[in-house]
Amino acid sequence: MKKFLVLFTLFVFGLVLMGCNGGEAEGKIEIEFWHMSPVGSESYSGMRAIITQFNESQEDYFVKGKGFSFWDYWDKINVAVSSKTAPDIGLSTIDDVVSRARAGVLFNISELIESDDSGYLQIELDEFRQSQLDFATFEGDLFAMPFTATTRALFYNMDMFLELGLTEEDVPETWSELKTVAKMFDIVDDGTIERLGFDPSYGDATYHGWLWQKGLDFFDEELNPTLNTQGHIDVLNWIIDFNDDLSRSQLTSFGEANQLLGLNPFAAEKVAMIIGNDGLYQTIINAGADFSYGVAPIPIPDEDGIRVNWGSGFSIEMYDNKKNDNDRLNGAFMFYKYLLSKEVQIELSEVNGWILSHISAMEEFVEGKPIMQLLLEEVNYAVDKVYVPYAPSWHGNDWQPYYTQALDRSLTPEAALLQARNHYLEKQQNYNTVN
Amino acid sequence: MKASSIQQLKKQENFMGYLFAFPWLFGLIVLGAFPILASFFISFTNYDMNQAPRWIGIKNYVILFSNDSIFWKSLGNTVYHVAIAIPLGLMVGLALALLLNNKIKGMSIYRTLFYLPNVVSIVAMSLLWLWLFQPSFGVINELLSPFYKLFDMEPLRWHQAASTAKLTLILMGLWTAGGSMVIYLAQMQDIPISLYESAEVDGANWFKKTLYITLPLMTPSIFFNFIMGIIGGFQVFTIAYIMTGGGPSRSTYYYAYYLFDKMMSDRAMGMASAMAWILLVIVLIITIIALRLNKYVVYLGEES
Repeated sequence: MKKFLVLFTLFVFGLVLMGCNGGEAEGKIEIEFWHMSPVGSESYSGMRAIITQFNESQEDYFVKGKGFSFWDYWDKINVAVSSKTAPDIGLSTIDDVVSRARAGVLFNISELIESDDSGYLQIELDEFRQSQLDFATFEGDLFAMPFTATTRALFYNMDMFLELGLTEEDVPETWSELKTVAKMFDIVDDGTIERLGFDPSYGDATYHGWLWQKGLDFFDEELNPTLNTQGHIDVLNWIIDFNDDLSRSQLTSFGEANQLLGLNPFAAEKVAMIIGNDGLYQTIINAGADFSYGVAPIPIPDEDGIRVNWGSGFSIEMYDNKKNDNDRLNGAFMFYKYLLSKEVQIELSEVNGWILSHISAMEEFVEGKPIMQLLLEEVNYAVDKVYVPYAPSWHGNDWQPYYTQALDRSLTPEAALLQARNHYLEKQQNYNTVN
Repeated sequence: MKASSIQQLKKQENFMGYLFAFPWLFGLIVLGAFPILASFFISFTNYDMNQAPRWIGIKNYVILFSNDSIFWKSLGNTVYHVAIAIPLGLMVGLALALLLNNKIKGMSIYRTLFYLPNVVSIVAMSLLWLWLFQPSFGVINELLSPFYKLFDMEPLRWHQAASTAKLTLILMGLWTAGGSMVIYLAQMQDIPISLYESAEVDGANWFKKTLYITLPLMTPSIFFNFIMGIIGGFQVFTIAYIMTGGGPSRSTYYYAYYLFDKMMSDRAMGMASAMAWILLVIVLIITIIALRLNKYVVYLGEES
């Protein structure tokens, strides 16, 4: 019995060792690729299939994919880039490519394209939007490529519209129409919001997004904070007063209740309209929702409104860990081109539900998908936010405390904007002191 | 035995001692001391984690002290948290220990129950309390609703209101008072029964016995929990990160949270390192003061 146990243990140990010997990668140059489809996620098997497809076509290279959840990904990639342990290829935010290019942590994609004589696929630059390519350009050269083409739009619940005798014609196009229509859907029972028409601070709606529709922004061209004009105050007032018949505590509790239950309020039919990005399309499918809904451009101000939405796309980057390994670089670039090819971009969209950056690939992908077609149309009006070196999270950590105080009326819009502006000025001054 | 043999034996013993201590020494030097010293150097540099650190002298420290309003705000929040949470935690832990220092049936079960929250992950604990404190449908407001009606009050918004958010997190932290309770209990059981018997002979009641025997003899463990509480309290981060995101209105934006944001959001590693060193100095000063006061407040045995 003892002998059997020893032999069995050795056998299991041997199997474990066999599992660790690299298998398919043996004798090949290993390329590391970080993505956002971790084990257990809905997109994992699809992403794995795409990587396997490349590996099977290669004799010299083997791509090892590593998936992280969206929330974990950013800290990991930032730390890896800093410690020169970044993957060969990874995703990042397109609006700050320039900062990484300047720091010398990215390979020059223009140079790689120019010197590429492998004959294996080509990056078709005219298949990518110039507005996105501009964000990936530093000193005239590309240091990344646009990967996703995120967009934001108004999602509306058609069943709720029909219930109130409204049709597609009644989908709001302006801010005043939005408020009129939204108020028809509100249901409040004993002080608790059961259903909400719309709130301009919910979902993917942002203050800077509403500002852009008025031709305003947080910063001027020299990246000095503005925020102190009457236009800024008016937009903030419009957001605060949108649901002035409801208290902020009612609205916050309603939002938090959905959050705690892990529900998207639109997918759970708790709100009639919401600003969502293309990811919401997939969320609704994953939630198994069976109501009919539509997508429309985000309503614009009644006068001089600009049709624009916040893009916030991902870039795909090749990280230079200063290893001077040309073979590995060549392999990584082959996989890079593969990921940016038309067929693979379509496959990646099917896997993640994202709108990717390859124009004709997406036109083909959205065929027969009316919602995605409308979202793709909105990509043409998507703009990425500016990167501000002294406040990289200007729209997040820096702005949110003032925004929430304005929303719950503990600060007047004027005071909130003034304090926010002073905060940015302080950060700018401190940044300039040490740079 | 010859002197040289004794020396040899000493050497052998020393070698074995270092060998056994090696894992800990390795951890201390490589995983502990190196990052600590590196962060000290980085605190005098401008380092965005992409380019190499650039020496800027004491500018990070000067900026933090003279031109960073959020630094003072976050420090104020943290001091508030420490000033209330630590004494309250000590009192609750002590009260629990007094309550559970009885010989009744099933006492070990009660002790386990009170200690149990300490083995729950802080993330799970925070999410659980988010539910409990939820103003609209949380259990706590449901239980308090008769009270609200009686005093014609608006239900408290707990972590959602700037005025109550810090206190909410402090109250939540009391759930883990069972950790210090175990230490108190251990010391309580070391108190000689003869002292209580003598007091009983003198006619002392429970309150007097607690006040004149239990508490004075408990001061070493109270002091230990106080010091540990101060060190932990200044590092409060996770509960705010999960429950409130530092809000509302930065009311729960603690020092460690700001340090984290300086590093991850602003990519100002030099400034974040400077903050870490300032925190170390603050905790060190408070600990030194506490240790100096030690001899006045802690009972260390009768002098002969």
